[in-house]
Amino acid sequence: MALKVLTVDDSKTIRMIVKKAFKSFECELFEAENGRQGLEVAKKERPGLIVLDITMPVMTGTEMLAKLKNDPDLKDTPVIMLTAESGKENVLEIVKMGVSDYVVKPFKGEQLIERVTKILTLEPKKGAEPEDTSKKFFSVDGDVQILTLPQKIDRPTSVEIEGHLKGKIEAMLGSGLKKMILDMQKVVGTNVILIKLIIAIIQNCQNANIRVRVVGTRALHDELKEFQETSEIPIDLSIEEAKEKFQTG
Amino acid sequence: MANIEALDLKKFITDAVYGVFDTMLSMSVSTSDKEFRSNGEGRHIVGSVGFAGKLTGNVCIHLNEGFARLITAAMLGMETDEIEGDEEVYDVVGELSNMIGGDLKSRFSDANLPCNLSIPSITSGSDFTLESKGWERHESFVFQNQENLALVEVFVKEEK
Repeated sequence: MALKVLTVDDSKTIRMIVKKAFKSFECELFEAENGRQGLEVAKKERPGLIVLDITMPVMTGTEMLAKLKNDPDLKDTPVIMLTAESGKENVLEIVKMGVSDYVVKPFKGEQLIERVTKILTLEPKKGAEPEDTSKKFFSVDGDVQILTLPQKIDRPTSVEIEGHLKGKIEAMLGSGLKKMILDMQKVVGTNVILIKLIIAIIQNCQNANIRVRVVGTRALHDELKEFQETSEIPIDLSIEEAKEKFQTG
Repeated sequence: MANIEALDLKKFITDAVYGVFDTMLSMSVSTSDKEFRSNGEGRHIVGSVGFAGKLTGNVCIHLNEGFARLITAAMLGMETDEIEGDEEVYDVVGELSNMIGGDLKSRFSDANLPCNLSIPSITSGSDFTLESKGWERHESFVFQNQENLALVEVFVKEEK
């Protein structure tokens, strides 16, 4: 049976972030905009977990929690508080209220799931076999592994690519591939996450004795020159040029 | 008085803004000497939260509409053309100010200036400025991500 999760937060943004965090798990999500609504939904649905904001109009999370603790049917429901305040006094107050755990905003969905798994078992969503998402980024062209970066590199994308990288490098070594092209022709704009990802890819390849060449546009080439970490990396302007350099280099 | 004057508001604000932009938006921002202009293309959106307690005041984040939409898309993991309407943008800007305000509130409390935080409010329009008087400290900083600018202002005073 799917775990019922109730999110009580006046911000639709936070409710969406929580919903996304649980999307890979067998969960049924319920939402409320304030403590009063939250209590109504909790009484009706008997959730297995409540994710509860503190500062809300109509009824705050603190007030709702006090009412939950006084309700014999709901008092044992695990509650994870969301708070924008990490100060010592605030944290102590939250702990005293008898919550299972708390998460300080700003937070990532992964952080919330990590806290939840400390108190509950989350079942991965049943259904189709997990999609091999590495195909979005990795392809083989002859004797070269191509790693194509998308237009925008944000933290989740970077984590996803790095997550695939080790397995891909092991697979390359197993099949005798010793060359990788990091294709960044689609990338628009640089950021710290991109720079860290480039360095991680190059270092992983070097550690495995895999030769790597970087392909990008002239504009990207100029932008990478501005970062100390990437200023010395040679950039080829096409896949063909990179392949030629493998032959001659 | 001494407490308020001793606060390193620049560090408080930059740490809070860097943390929120990095964690929630995967965006790196840096402080900028550029002037934030509210009368550019699109509307000017301000998210603010208030502090009330031993320290009172408020913190506001000013964004032009284009940057506010980029931030909304980043926060919700979507493209800007998938944004359903102004309410989504306002909610994200409000949450952004709530997170920055929450971080500041914690730092004020740790500096022996405990206070409570209000729920966020949004002001939106074109070509307006906010004037605030009667505060002991008023600091403002411009942050930049690529060509986009955000102005963060904080007004505070100590209650006697």
